[in-house]
Amino acid sequence: MVELKNVTKKYQTGTVALRDVNLKINKGEFVFLVGSSGSGKSTLIKLLLKEEDCTDGTVLVNGYDLSSMGRREIPYLRRSIGIVFQDFRLLPNKTVYENVAFAMLITEALPKEIRRQVPMALALVGLSKKANVYPNQLSGGEQQRVALARALVNNPSLLVADEPTGNLDPENSLEIMKLLSEVNNRGTTVLVATHEKNIVDTMKKRVVALNKGALVRDQEKGLYGNEDKNSEIYA
Amino acid sequence: MKIRTAKYMLKEGILNAYRNKIMSLASIGIVGASLLIFGIFYLVMTNIVYNAGILKQQSEICVYCDPELNDSQVKQVEAIIKKDERIKDYKLESKKEAFEKAKKRLLGDDTSVVEELTEDIMQVTFYVKLKDPGMSKEFISQYRKIAGVEDVDYPEAAVEFISGMSYWVTVISGFLMVILLIISMFIISNTIKLTVFARRKEINIMKYIGATDWFIRWPFIIEGIAIGIVGAAAAAFLTINGYNAVEARFNSEFLTIGTGLVKLMKANRVWNEIILIYTLVGGFIGALGSAISIRKYLHV
Repeated sequence: MVELKNVTKKYQTGTVALRDVNLKINKGEFVFLVGSSGSGKSTLIKLLLKEEDCTDGTVLVNGYDLSSMGRREIPYLRRSIGIVFQDFRLLPNKTVYENVAFAMLITEALPKEIRRQVPMALALVGLSKKANVYPNQLSGGEQQRVALARALVNNPSLLVADEPTGNLDPENSLEIMKLLSEVNNRGTTVLVATHEKNIVDTMKKRVVALNKGALVRDQEKGLYGNEDKNSEIYA
Repeated sequence: MKIRTAKYMLKEGILNAYRNKIMSLASIGIVGASLLIFGIFYLVMTNIVYNAGILKQQSEICVYCDPELNDSQVKQVEAIIKKDERIKDYKLESKKEAFEKAKKRLLGDDTSVVEELTEDIMQVTFYVKLKDPGMSKEFISQYRKIAGVEDVDYPEAAVEFISGMSYWVTVISGFLMVILLIISMFIISNTIKLTVFARRKEINIMKYIGATDWFIRWPFIIEGIAIGIVGAAAAAFLTINGYNAVEARFNSEFLTIGTGLVKLMKANRVWNEIILIYTLVGGFIGALGSAISIRKYLHV
């Protein structure tokens, strides 16, 4: 599903964002990616989306070898990944329904498929009644649920969420995490980069921790911070 | 690309142009003004070329026979002209015809002063039209050497001047038109860049959710084409109406003055060309301007 082999990413400025990272995420897993700001979480996600290329090593996602992938193939890789961002990134001039349908439209899906899938995705996130509303008429939590519906509407095998609860209050954060968990229960692999200690600790899923670009911990049913010795670096 | 996707892009492109009314109007104004200037150059150029062509076609070479020649000698000169394959057609003006013409031209109806003169003082003239007016010089020098030919005349200076002018006008206008189009394309590109910049987040989102570059690019290109075509329509309207007015005035003025030499082409002869050229050029610079503007934002 996702595999990073000896991945190093060095930016042109000289900053080393990832150092010799090895990580394997299997189909159907739920993984929290934790670490302080500048630890390399965002860079890792950028590599998975082929927004950046690694300097050394190999990145495999959904059967694509990203190291040898051409620019023209990138859209097809991204269609196989559902993406959720901290700032929702919804199209402001489209309604909730159109935002979700847009993800299918770009794949040139049949109109009848769009008419079938979009209401299902909206029902999954509990926004069926707000289909004709514009994003600026929704709360932050609702906007993130629209983003989640958009990420799921093409039935991706992998869902990547970069700080999905970063702009939300605790209640909405929990709601989003519950939804992500439900999506995972339906078989989708989920990778969530987060700072939310409470949520990570409550959900007890696999935790992968980065510190200064290095993978320092990979723990099944882990906590946000390693209680023994590394807890300070995730604060 | 599927038809429904093409429909979607067409709708998006036109809607985007409508949504960004102020920017679109600014771009339409720029395209229109550029095309109008382009059209003026084009019409000046076309008219000069047109007039040069007419002048060349209409210019006749006059082969004057010696007034002393008798009929059989004139026939010998005519035989040489008849055989010459360079000649498209010729007309013989007899001594009598020349005399009548001269009388009319010089004296009007009062012919009493020339009663004593006879047509014998006149000369037989052949008015010759060549198939290729470019052969004139060679033709003239050859015919001047023929026995029985007194002189060969040709409105050389006027034809050469207008031919030379039409060449330089074509070169200079062509150069200016290209410069003008490049400038207007960059202005349009910058105007569209502002709309692209305003929607850079939208483009970024589209890229993240897997839209191909062409899926993102097409609506912008269609927006550019729509702006270009509307600008072209406005420019065509102004050009055609302006040209109609100028043509009517110019041609009537010149005809009454009586030169009859320089005439503007009839407007209906250039309409189709103007509309076609404006639409193609407007659409092309709009599309290219959009494509240039969006390039930078596709690298996500």
